[in-house]
Amino acid sequence: MSNSAMESHRHPRVILERWFNQTKTLLMTPQIVISGILMVVLTYLIVVPLLQMTWRTLTWGEGDRRFSRQAVTGEMTGFHWEQAVSGPTSEAFLYEPLINTMITGTLAAVFALSLGAGLAWLVTRTDMPGKGWLRPTLILPYIVPSFALALAWETLFKSPQTGGQPGLFQYLFDVAPPTWLSFGAVPIVITMSIHYFPFAFLMISGALSTVDSQLEECAELMGASRWTVLRKITFPIVGPAILGAAVLTFGKTIGTFALPYLLGRPVEYQTLATMLFSSVSLGFTALGYILSLVLIVITVIVIWISARLLGGNLRRFETIGGKGFKANLTRLGVWKWPLFGMVCFIAFIAAIFPIGLLGYQTLMMVDGNYGFDNLTLHYWLGRSNPDIARGEPGVLHNTVILGDTWNTLRLAFLASILSSLVGLIIGYIVVRGRAGLVSRTLDQISFLPFLIPGIAFAAMYLGMFAVQRGPIPALYGTFALIVLICVVNRLPYSTRTGAAAVTQIGQELEEAAELQGASWVRRFWRVILPLSTGGVVAGMLVSFIGIMRELSLIILLITPSTRVLMTVGFRYAEEDQTQLTNALVMLVTVLTLLGQALVWQLGKGRLRRLKDRQID
Amino acid sequence: MGATIEIRNLTKRYGDVLALDDLSLTVHPGEFLVLLGPSGCGKTTLLRSLSGLETPDEGEIVIDDRVLFSSERGIRVAPGLRQIGMVFQSYALWPHMKVKDNIGFGLRVQKFPQSEIEARVEKILNELSMDGLGERYPSELSGGQQQRIALARLIATKPPVFLMDEPLSNLDARLRLDMRAELKRFHYDSDATTVFVTHDQTEAMTMASQIVIMNEGRIQQTAAPLDIYRHPANLFVAEFIGMPRINLLNAELDADAGSPVARISDFIVPLAWKPPVTELVVAARPEDVTLLTAPDEKALEFRVRALLPSGPELIIQLTRGDQTVVVRETRQMDLAMDQTVWIQFDSTALNLYDRRDGTMLRPEAGLPGRTTGPETTEGLAQQPQV
Repeated sequence: MSNSAMESHRHPRVILERWFNQTKTLLMTPQIVISGILMVVLTYLIVVPLLQMTWRTLTWGEGDRRFSRQAVTGEMTGFHWEQAVSGPTSEAFLYEPLINTMITGTLAAVFALSLGAGLAWLVTRTDMPGKGWLRPTLILPYIVPSFALALAWETLFKSPQTGGQPGLFQYLFDVAPPTWLSFGAVPIVITMSIHYFPFAFLMISGALSTVDSQLEECAELMGASRWTVLRKITFPIVGPAILGAAVLTFGKTIGTFALPYLLGRPVEYQTLATMLFSSVSLGFTALGYILSLVLIVITVIVIWISARLLGGNLRRFETIGGKGFKANLTRLGVWKWPLFGMVCFIAFIAAIFPIGLLGYQTLMMVDGNYGFDNLTLHYWLGRSNPDIARGEPGVLHNTVILGDTWNTLRLAFLASILSSLVGLIIGYIVVRGRAGLVSRTLDQISFLPFLIPGIAFAAMYLGMFAVQRGPIPALYGTFALIVLICVVNRLPYSTRTGAAAVTQIGQELEEAAELQGASWVRRFWRVILPLSTGGVVAGMLVSFIGIMRELSLIILLITPSTRVLMTVGFRYAEEDQTQLTNALVMLVTVLTLLGQALVWQLGKGRLRRLKDRQID
Repeated sequence: MGATIEIRNLTKRYGDVLALDDLSLTVHPGEFLVLLGPSGCGKTTLLRSLSGLETPDEGEIVIDDRVLFSSERGIRVAPGLRQIGMVFQSYALWPHMKVKDNIGFGLRVQKFPQSEIEARVEKILNELSMDGLGERYPSELSGGQQQRIALARLIATKPPVFLMDEPLSNLDARLRLDMRAELKRFHYDSDATTVFVTHDQTEAMTMASQIVIMNEGRIQQTAAPLDIYRHPANLFVAEFIGMPRINLLNAELDADAGSPVARISDFIVPLAWKPPVTELVVAARPEDVTLLTAPDEKALEFRVRALLPSGPELIIQLTRGDQTVVVRETRQMDLAMDQTVWIQFDSTALNLYDRRDGTMLRPEAGLPGRTTGPETTEGLAQQPQV
């Protein structure tokens, strides 16, 4: 460029015109405007609550006068941390729950992982019969609320010694089960393992089905033994998936709330999640927030360590899936039928028996009497009778419960649709933004909720939306807040789903529309959305099911006007209304199963066809 | 009528890589201009910058006096407002829309009445002899039909500029030949200014009215196809164009002789004019080398290394020491491997290059053809393999 051109480049009038035109172009580009808006909104909904929660643990809050007379609302103090870490109650409030959490979380994760991995291998890589129905059955314990398994355990092992009516065990054997079997660490670990092993099973069988059996056969032809092949070939290939499943399972077990709450509370066995709930409910807000931060920090450390072990980024083990090769199945030989029997036994113990037991329990007029003469449909269909269940009518006749069912469906529907849509838009910006600063930041912010256990998330929002702040009204007590927290909580998943869907859509398809003069909104509506329906709808249904059985995320935020089935069931459980609790959980389970069946049907049918049409 | 495209001082960087390096080019109305070059030469970046899908770092793009892009003034007209049609390598037909909706999309965006959209789609389908395909989905069509739908979508909104990004590369070899003829006819009928990107030189030679050869983000030569073939502006173009490759031989200008001659080792080639430098590269197309089966004092002795007959012609690879020369013969010849033969150069068809910078040397009078090359070509003076 010549000298005079350089001069004109710097002329103030030219600079002004350039600035004006560039600003105009930017503001006329919807992607950029939307990225900006999303950045602000997500920062406000995720980053600010985190910071605010942290800040609250370092300052005096309203009502803290009862702890110390020096408390001046809003001033900084180390009081809360000091109390939590070294105060006289620190043992009961922090260390014991921390140790309990680590013990139950680790053990449950290890059991769930071993069981899941073994079953995954048997079901995907061997010639075991009955895979068609075993696979969905084995997934059942994860589809039902974790809550349901705790209730089933209680129904089986409770005894008048520890409170309540005799369970099935005592009814059958006429001996009270030992307390350690009814409540505390043992039942928590066992039920959590049963609830989470299908999760590990799904992830690992996904990875196993991508291992090309030719790789293994090749090694076998070269003279390697079965065991060597498994150790040197199979494991290194699926290793990352197993590690990923371990991390995710552990993250889930330590954050689980309802299950340890039900099985630990009667014997004062507290985990971080239940302690968090108790302290927030009792108004020890700062302590609750400190426990939240401890949970978040544990999750972050675990994910960080496994990321270092894998030597890659976090993404690598989030979802493992993809097309299976034509895998040659290992012949089990004489072990075929014994192993099949064992897997059937596991499926029965983990899936069929607990659900059946819960269902049967709802039919018992008087809790504790398992005879056929005690059967009734009262808790399902009965009219209000002051002598039974404090006059609560049967679940299907209870207008309040029907209202709650409507609330549940409305919440799951709204939140899953909104979350998928927002996830698709963020996914779009992440994929098309070509790793620019904005898209990378959005990607990371939307991943953050993944690190925050549901109960901690709720505690955060409780502080954030309890009062009006600037233009944002006090959302506490509104349905909108429940929807909002579910949407934000699902973002890590829906953003990944959205990004995966957008990745499959050739950029040229969109550019062709752009050149034809279609605005961004039109392109999104006419090209991106229709072509991503397959993945997005599937993701939406998964969210739908997840939200329907969500409890820990919303239990702190629910008010009488915004009740959903799970929280009502939780309240009944607290009141020991066992049949009604179980009936509600059955209701949720049935609704969830219907949703899941829909996912499978869609996965097989229409969506597959839609996907096939996406050539290129 | 087509539009005039003015590209001025366009620069585009991807990190440290210069995809476009201060590139200027004018495309005249109705021209069929082909951007040709090896992969990564910047041709697709240039096309995408024209369409607005890519934003250059510096420079200006003007179509018919309308400034579409100017880094200095901060102007960047959105792709949809540029009145440019584009055919993509993958065709980019929307798989969820019927053929007629694909074609009518642009018209719908421009809010044409439904009846007119239908009429126009019908007419275009008829012109491209694809009646009755309107209700199909793109995945139900053959590759050639998909290609034609992409063209139909292109002309539906009648843009004055067509951009085509390797539109034939997804077709099989035979269909590609047919589509070349069809595209040429299509361009003739529409009369739009067309910029076509390809890395296939045969495609470029057969279709272009002007070829722009690019390398490393810079234009190497802009000329009509035959000019490029006959008079490559530098050694890069000479080597890039032509199958089999041009023969390049290092030579010294012999200043002592009466008439100008170039000395290639112990062999002398008479020159039609006297070049200004002594260190030369002599370039001869395989068809400009004459093969003799009997010795001649003005011919150089070679040995047959390989014979490659292809039907209408015979390609002969010859060696002498570490020198290789390729000859194209259309005469019927009876040759054997390792046979000794003699070659002569057609001195009027030879091109001479300056060995230091690789540029072509021309007699004062100049040669025919609108030929422009970069002012300097330092860095690309590849040493010919002699």
